[in-house]
Amino acid sequence: MRFKTSLLKEPKELVSCVGWASADELFSCSEDHQILKWNLLTHETSVVVKLQDDIFPTELHWFPKAASGKKQAMAENFVLTSTDGKFHFISKTGRIEKSLEAHRGAVLAGRWNYDGTALITAGEDGQIKIWSKSGMLRSTLAQQASPVYSVAWGPDSDRVLYTLGRQLVIKPLQPGSKVLQWKAHDGIILKVDWNSVNDLILSGGEDCKYKVWDSYGRLLYTSSPNDYPVTSVAWSPDGEVFAIGSFNTLRLCDKTGWSYALEKPSTGSVFSLAWSADGTQLAGACGNGQVIFAHIVEQRWEWRNFEVTLTKRRTMQVRNVLNDAVDILEFRDPVIKASLAHGHLVVTTPLQCSIYSTKNWNTPLIFDVKEGTVSLILQAERYACLFTRFSPFLFLSRSQVPMTPAFQGFKIVDILKNPLYWGKKYRPANISMMDVSDLPFSFPVVYLFDAQTGKALGDGKPLVHKMEVMEVALDQCGPSSERKIALIDKNRDLYVLAVRRLGRDQTLHKLGTMVHTMAWNDSANILCGIQDAQFTVWYYPNVVFVDKGLLPKTLFTKDGSEFSRAPHILNYAGGQVTVRRADGSLVYSLVSPYPTLLHEYAGSARWEDALRLCRFAKPVWRVWLVMAVANRELSTAEAAYAAIGEVDKVQYIVFIKEQPSKESSLAQMLLFSGHVQECEATMLQAGLIYQAIQTHINLYNWDRALELAVKHKTHVDTVLAHRQKFLQDFGKKETNKRFLQYSEGVEVDWDKIQAKIEMEVARERERGTPSSIRSSVASRR
Amino acid sequence: MAKDPLAEAGLHYDELNKLRILEPDVGQKTTELKEECKDFVDKIGQFQKIVGGLIEMVDELAKEAEKEKMKVCTVNTFKMTLNRCDMLLIILQAIGARNLLKSVAKQREAQQQQLQALIAEKKMQLERYRIEYEALCKVEAEQNEFIDQFILQK
Repeated sequence: MRFKTSLLKEPKELVSCVGWASADELFSCSEDHQILKWNLLTHETSVVVKLQDDIFPTELHWFPKAASGKKQAMAENFVLTSTDGKFHFISKTGRIEKSLEAHRGAVLAGRWNYDGTALITAGEDGQIKIWSKSGMLRSTLAQQASPVYSVAWGPDSDRVLYTLGRQLVIKPLQPGSKVLQWKAHDGIILKVDWNSVNDLILSGGEDCKYKVWDSYGRLLYTSSPNDYPVTSVAWSPDGEVFAIGSFNTLRLCDKTGWSYALEKPSTGSVFSLAWSADGTQLAGACGNGQVIFAHIVEQRWEWRNFEVTLTKRRTMQVRNVLNDAVDILEFRDPVIKASLAHGHLVVTTPLQCSIYSTKNWNTPLIFDVKEGTVSLILQAERYACLFTRFSPFLFLSRSQVPMTPAFQGFKIVDILKNPLYWGKKYRPANISMMDVSDLPFSFPVVYLFDAQTGKALGDGKPLVHKMEVMEVALDQCGPSSERKIALIDKNRDLYVLAVRRLGRDQTLHKLGTMVHTMAWNDSANILCGIQDAQFTVWYYPNVVFVDKGLLPKTLFTKDGSEFSRAPHILNYAGGQVTVRRADGSLVYSLVSPYPTLLHEYAGSARWEDALRLCRFAKPVWRVWLVMAVANRELSTAEAAYAAIGEVDKVQYIVFIKEQPSKESSLAQMLLFSGHVQECEATMLQAGLIYQAIQTHINLYNWDRALELAVKHKTHVDTVLAHRQKFLQDFGKKETNKRFLQYSEGVEVDWDKIQAKIEMEVARERERGTPSSIRSSVASRR
Repeated sequence: MAKDPLAEAGLHYDELNKLRILEPDVGQKTTELKEECKDFVDKIGQFQKIVGGLIEMVDELAKEAEKEKMKVCTVNTFKMTLNRCDMLLIILQAIGARNLLKSVAKQREAQQQQLQALIAEKKMQLERYRIEYEALCKVEAEQNEFIDQFILQK
């Protein structure tokens, strides 16, 4: 990935600011008081207006497009700040609508907020002022002793970031809120930017470094010193990359900070950088009077054996690594976004969307994108979801169902801001299973959507976690009712949550702590993550719903030192995990293929094959075991427990198998999985009151046992007898009031109790399948 | 003719019949001489005059020559100055060249710096690729190991 730069015109006077009016129209303003318009389609440059001689511009910012849906009047305007202490609203035609006195000394920065309701200006006098859309002074946000060189709005337009010498300050608009201030650079900070999508802060200063911060002021990346001060920084709108400008330097960096490419055009210092709204083009205001244009080329997408490269703006090269076959794809317009996954390449241009199958590169499915520029593409097995500025929509990539708008009521800003994930069906052929599946969702609160209808899933209520959610992912396989969401919160704890419980019982099960990044496998419900300095694979995250105690047994860990600090898992496909290190290099790691196979067997209920696989590959026994327990496959579970040498568990399973009736074995199974309440409910439902009481006695759950006994008016003496025995064994006295109360009227006679128990057991045996004697002695051990 | 007695007495008549002590011839010759002398004197005078003019001229010439001499001297000085100028020019040119050289050197330095920055960038990229390659090698080794094990177990 790199920049391809071009200079359109001979240098004149120092250009101080640039701004995009549309995807191919740029306005620039220079020291010779001229505002120029650059048309990139016709390569024409024209003078829009010549300003008065005393206006030396400092910053130009267009009124935000997203906010200008209805009010066209403002849409075509931009704000221009100048050194005479004024700012001006100037229309597209060059008419100065309004000029307002703002600061003593020069106005150094002026930015609209995201919804266009407020303008912020900062000046040499150290003041930061907020103005209304029409130019009324709302408030003076801050009064500093030194000039403020740059300001930026926070993602929700509720906070403002500004520079103060070597420090950065985040100030919420709400009065009285806590101000965050920290020393960021060793030299004066010249430019800052705050991305609305990834909530990261970018700063560059005279110490020749650029740094990336999160919104809490924690340092995420610092560059090595450059040769010259960093004079401009700019996030791309989607927050994936950013650009750095310096003397004769233009740099393209990943959001994690490492640099994709460096260009050394002879432009002088780049004073201002601006990305076009679709994020494909960048313009820079150069010190030698030129305006530099750059667009990103050589972007690469990989999937299995295919490698797609954007060679030119309108050309893509597809290479099949297996046979070195090369296909060239040509487009009428510049490519904006592309995505390659699940055997399909989705490419969007400003007007069209093309979908290629990896099997056939010659006949794409092409349709028009009416609603404007696509800013995000998500792909699933059978679906692709395109997000435009106004609404996302879906279509079926195989059956060519016309696009349907999805996720009504969600602005793209909301969706783009949040990481989105996309589920897919395990068996694409099974179309009847489709109805409640394929769920993309987003956070801070997690919403789930039905891909078929585009409506929010469940009762539409989002999942609200007590902590800020950092990362969220939906597993990719299995029926939709058994889907699970994995999420990492701000404390870096990894939780898993069943989708079907969403809205009702939001119990999160903790899988691990200190998890930096995670990903689901694309073909099995295996989760991998990087935990502290270890690479961890959860072979069967479902285990938390079955038997939490078995969780550590289904883990696979290995040393993660090769991933160095702050890695990010890109994908987990097949048996290979691809990790992007903080320095930008890709590292691959292998995971044993057996668990994946096992998942496949279990998914299709091929227990015999699975057992064979387990015998062949020993370490998967544990995973297998949990699956067997989850699926209530007793004999396989027994074999599995035996294989891993858990004698007590084997014994218990034998005991479960010996249960006289189906109900009680089910109940015991539930008990085995640790679901005491469900176990009790099952037993009571089956009328096995004694067994329920006995279960509680075994669990030393005396109160509940007595409660049940009293409620059902049976076996009160049994409970009391056991209680007495227990107290005797431990040499204690009865202190429980209820027990004292009931023991008064009841005489404990072990023979009678024994006989009663025998009777109960016999009765159950009669009802259920004949089995060996269920002895209460076993439970009295 | 007969000897004239008078002639013997030393008296003679001239053509105008005037008595003369001298013989007419002599007289005539004397007159001639006289005239010739007069001529001579005249000529000498003329000569003198000419010579005087000449001298004057020569003097003038001398003066002129002096003047010219002076002039020549100035020219020489001028020439010398010219030479010096040339030298100066050469020096200046040299300085200019040196400056140019310096600026070229500076340019080169800037270029070098730029190239070095680019090299550093490429090096970083190379390092990334190296790490990726190593990781892939490791994956390959692991896969081979796995295949071997698989075959063995079978």
